Amino acid sequence: MRCGDYKESYLKDEEIFQTVFVKFWLALFFIFLLILPFFANTYILYVANLVGFAVIAAVGLNLLTGFTGQISLGHAAFAGVGGYTLAILMTKAEFSFWLALPCAGLVAAAAGLIIGIPSLRVKGLYLCIATLAAQFIFEFIFIHWESMTQGVRGINVPSPQVGSFLFNTEARFYYLTLGFVVLTVAYVRNLVRTKTGRAFIAIRDRDLAAEIMGINLFKYKLTSFAISSFFAGIAGALWVSFMRIVTPEHFPFHLSIQYLAMVIVGGLGTVLGSIFGAIFMTLVPEILNVTTSAMSDVIPQLEHLFIPLKEVVFGCLIVGFLIFEPHGLAEIWRRIKAFFILWPFSY
Amino acid sequence: MMKAKCAAKGLLCFALLFSLILTFTATAVAEEEIKIGAVQPITGRFAFAGVQINAGLEDALMMANEEGGINGKKIKYIMEDGAYQVDTAVAAFKRIMARDNPIIMYGESTGLGKAMAPEIKDRYHILYSSTSFSSELADAAKNPYMYVAGPTYSDMFGILLKYIAKEKPQAKVAFFYSDTEFGRDPVEYGKETCKKLGLELVAEEVSKVGSVDVTSQVLDMKRKGVEYCIFQGFVLSPVPAVMKQAKDYGLKCKFMGTFWTTNKMLLDKLGPMADNYMGVMPYSFYYEENVPMIKKIIEWNKKHHPDVTYRPTSYMQGFVNGLLYVEALKRADKEGALTGDGLVKAMNSIKDVDFGGIMAPVTITDNKIPMGRVFKGNSKTLQFEAVSDWIRLD
Repeated sequence: MRCGDYKESYLKDEEIFQTVFVKFWLALFFIFLLILPFFANTYILYVANLVGFAVIAAVGLNLLTGFTGQISLGHAAFAGVGGYTLAILMTKAEFSFWLALPCAGLVAAAAGLIIGIPSLRVKGLYLCIATLAAQFIFEFIFIHWESMTQGVRGINVPSPQVGSFLFNTEARFYYLTLGFVVLTVAYVRNLVRTKTGRAFIAIRDRDLAAEIMGINLFKYKLTSFAISSFFAGIAGALWVSFMRIVTPEHFPFHLSIQYLAMVIVGGLGTVLGSIFGAIFMTLVPEILNVTTSAMSDVIPQLEHLFIPLKEVVFGCLIVGFLIFEPHGLAEIWRRIKAFFILWPFSY
Repeated sequence: MMKAKCAAKGLLCFALLFSLILTFTATAVAEEEIKIGAVQPITGRFAFAGVQINAGLEDALMMANEEGGINGKKIKYIMEDGAYQVDTAVAAFKRIMARDNPIIMYGESTGLGKAMAPEIKDRYHILYSSTSFSSELADAAKNPYMYVAGPTYSDMFGILLKYIAKEKPQAKVAFFYSDTEFGRDPVEYGKETCKKLGLELVAEEVSKVGSVDVTSQVLDMKRKGVEYCIFQGFVLSPVPAVMKQAKDYGLKCKFMGTFWTTNKMLLDKLGPMADNYMGVMPYSFYYEENVPMIKKIIEWNKKHHPDVTYRPTSYMQGFVNGLLYVEALKRADKEGALTGDGLVKAMNSIKDVDFGGIMAPVTITDNKIPMGRVFKGNSKTLQFEAVSDWIRLD
């Protein structure tokens, strides 16, 4: 029976896994993730991969939006830069996937650095529009730089490979995705409790105060942009090599909005939140899809009503969550945990 | 604590609902069934056509079922919404494949076709066709399992250019296309064909889908003295705006379009300008009541969808796809080869088959049917009237 966590040092307070219980459940969950491909079908694994890419991108964006307080509406473009870099390097320069992937991340980070420069002068809505411009500029480049991107036709990308082992099915790619998700989450979770992470939070809370405290705004804002775009680039590159094709259609503006929605629905400024957000935003439309098609199997006459209804339901869910829990899914999760910690002897 | 309780309850409800869904979807299916899957754009920006395409495809298959099915075997049609987004559509595609494992799939977009092409070829081995008339997808060597149930956009350009060359040799032609894959698809082929037919391609105008300001493009066409302008990559806007401004600026030019801009919606919008609009169409229109298959479709709709008064060309597209599936299934079943490969063989064996006049006798070459008629708008009836016989490109 637990009745409280006693921490005797700040070091203890900063620990990621604070109790044995957390470690135990997390290990169990991780084992579940590891064995998932053995009983899930290709569809579930496909969605699991999508969730993975979304988690990487959302965790990255949360670093920028949730921790540093800089809004970016161009995140899909950075993912696109990563995707295209990987595709071009693998097909034109014949790089291996393992070399092309970090390059994709770095090129996306460089793009993020450049787009991030206006953040030094403009804030809030103005920055929003500045990054929105990035989205359109990059989309234009994807379509029109035909010698490199092959325009609207897109580039076919080979599957990643180790020796003769090809990551060409959902199950095989799943492990790759899982690996990168773990790496990303571990990196970001650790980053936010370092000096850099605290600088980000200081900038978010009050940039003027942060500067007076000696935080170099120029350095940290751009670092945040770069790291966040790096992960977007990685997510884009993974998605592209999973789909084996990249076209400009893969990175539309609404994907940027979706990434932002993941971060907001999940909870700004928590890593766990963006994971929840990514899962929610990817999984719920799928669940609604399955539900509506199952419903229309039962009542075929109402098919044309049920299918469009899912968009309404999805919209209402988001609004509902934001009204009833503005701190996002992470907060809901915290409350559920708090409830069960003392259950059934809560006071 | 109250709030937490609610949240926990919500979670429980969610889990219950989810398990309920699973049981629904896992309903067993009878053995002697042929499954055909479809990812349709029921929501999203292509929904106006998607709903009709879906109805057309389903009607064709149900009609075949009513007439005894495929040599006695019934067809089961499984449809999921793809929302006209690549990731959602691929998910729906994989969901159908994992759950039902059909031998034919119908896809909602060019994007989906491209995304699934490698897997259809290497892994699923199923017959595939789609809403798209993309030239890239009808490539027997690259994508042996993928078909286009009509001419590709390039073929449509070829048919229109052939018509122009006959009506006015050495005419000055312009291409007016959207800056999308859909818009650019036939442009290269169109350029070559112009050269071959001795037509002069004087202008290429690019615009955004749904754009309102087309003044610069129209002025450019006027400066270059364009006599025929072919639209590609739009459904409605900016076609009416271009035609209106061309009229205002005194540009004497005939306007033409491919499949998606040859529809009633556009004619309604054009009103009195409809006379100046021509389009290419591989299928018959709903009002061509003397065509036996159209008669059958009208009767079917009266019986099963009594509130329907008109079916657009997108419905016909779905319907013709259905007819082709049924024909291929019958042939493959006779050979005892109800597999993707068997269906591909059956499809390629379709030669001079009459589908009740909805198209001229159909022969599939290079995974497509490169033929169509040129139609002209009539501003009084707001209908299209055929101005050419069937033109076949081979």
